[in-house]
Amino acid sequence: MQKIIVSDTPHVRSKLTTKRIMLDVIIAIVPALVAGIVFFGGRAAFNVAIAVVSCCLTEWIWLLIKKVPVKDIFKKFDFTSIVTGLLLALSLPPLDYKYFYIPLLSGIFAVGVVKMLFGGTGKNVVNPAVTGRVFAFISFLGAMTSGWIQPAFGSISGEVVTGATVLTDMLAGVRPTLSNLDLFLGTGVTGCIGETSKVAILIGYIYLVVRRVIKWQWPVIVVGVTGLVGVLLNGCDFTLFLPYILSGGLIYGAVFMATDYVTSPANNLARYIYYVLMGVIIALLRKGTGIETVSFAILLMNLIVPLLSLHVRPRPFGSVPFGVLVKEKFAKLGKKGGKAE
Amino acid sequence: MDGKKIKNIALDGLLRNNPTFRLVLGTCPTLALTTAAMNGIGMGLAVTFILICSNVIISMLRKVIPSAVRIPAFVLIIATFVTMVRMLLDKFVPSLYESMGVYLPLIVVNCIILGRAESFASKNPVGYSALDGLFTGLGFTFALTFMGIFREVLGSGSLFGAHLWDFKIEFFTSSAGAFFVYGVFIAAFNGIYTKIDSKIRALHYDKMMALTGEEL
Repeated sequence: MQKIIVSDTPHVRSKLTTKRIMLDVIIAIVPALVAGIVFFGGRAAFNVAIAVVSCCLTEWIWLLIKKVPVKDIFKKFDFTSIVTGLLLALSLPPLDYKYFYIPLLSGIFAVGVVKMLFGGTGKNVVNPAVTGRVFAFISFLGAMTSGWIQPAFGSISGEVVTGATVLTDMLAGVRPTLSNLDLFLGTGVTGCIGETSKVAILIGYIYLVVRRVIKWQWPVIVVGVTGLVGVLLNGCDFTLFLPYILSGGLIYGAVFMATDYVTSPANNLARYIYYVLMGVIIALLRKGTGIETVSFAILLMNLIVPLLSLHVRPRPFGSVPFGVLVKEKFAKLGKKGGKAE
Repeated sequence: MDGKKIKNIALDGLLRNNPTFRLVLGTCPTLALTTAAMNGIGMGLAVTFILICSNVIISMLRKVIPSAVRIPAFVLIIATFVTMVRMLLDKFVPSLYESMGVYLPLIVVNCIILGRAESFASKNPVGYSALDGLFTGLGFTFALTFMGIFREVLGSGSLFGAHLWDFKIEFFTSSAGAFFVYGVFIAAFNGIYTKIDSKIRALHYDKMMALTGEEL
């Protein structure tokens, strides 16, 4: 007699695991990482190494304290801590070697407090890398805002950034001296390790879109809205649009941090509202404070995600769309009116 | 006075009903003033003093105050002592007075003092009320001092105003750090408390078993 095996769903499993997606993200970060190390040399590599090691060690030590067997720790390790460490380090300025404790402590804070305290991968409320950066920014303001160094390649247009960064100049009302091409390639641009070369970030972006890890619209909305609102706030000068979006960490944050699955709404409409609001907040905060505010805006928006998920619900399958409902109502009203006359 | 009741009052104020970590009362000064250990102690002692005095007076007047207007009456009594403490501090410790700022007059509406007046002093005799004020105040002081030490050492690299080292994590002196440290302290306190409590309970259970010789 033939035996029939009864099993629960799911019956078909895909190969798309958290590990696979995180590996894709790591591959997408590699161009920005390489660009950062080429531009800023040993300092960049040093910072990245410390951040990644501190993130991974924090996770392992936490799990050891929780008495998870060592075998399980390595079997279940899903690369999220490596991604956090990389994203965190690339969003820091190329800090001097004596500030080794900044990536170290931010890594511990990012993974230990933001992720593990809330229950591990997928349960964090806010993005660990963004929060780690904000922690570093609040805690070590002096080191974080004076760590800018000139990259290895000078600008093609032959100009030099006069102030701290291009963005701080621009927000203070000075027209950027560097050409858009310089800003795009990152030559002569002072800034954080990963955000300098937009080309490298765009390569990562294309890889993520091709691998279907993110949709192409997501970062585009954030960057576009920020640029538009920023231009409107700065006297409607549309020649400032490109410098406005190409300077600072906007593209970096929009591609790698705003698209984090865990901390953005799951349904499409809520997600688009999330990105539009994020763009508006980035531009407003940039105008208000005169410094780069992408990380703060992402952190703020992460906290609003539960509200968005609660109030913007997807339409259940088979229900009548709201627009159709309104139309029918009006049609009925029209008929009634006609009869009465 | 009954020794067992005094012991209960002391344990309640310091541990079991610790106003900061167990009841989560008086959070406003806790978050705002624990940037330095000295502020924590100052605030804690000021509250302790006011708590003892107001508890005594309210306990004395507990049969006179009509229950319909008891809250305004309590606030009036508390406000009297807060004004006294403000004047004394302004005269003798002006630096502490400066650093406490608006939180000193705000003691009038501190939930701990109103809470003890409502739940203890208005129902118990004067002696016990004074002791309750003392131990609740000490519980508050000890909580604020520990948080203050933690935040001052990490956030400003000093202890009670004495410079220790140059390394500072300014996050801990910011208001975000206040919430973070408060949360961590509540978690740690309650974790340790529950562990000790369950051990004591188990011990008592064994004793009862040995005495009666049967399962409870």
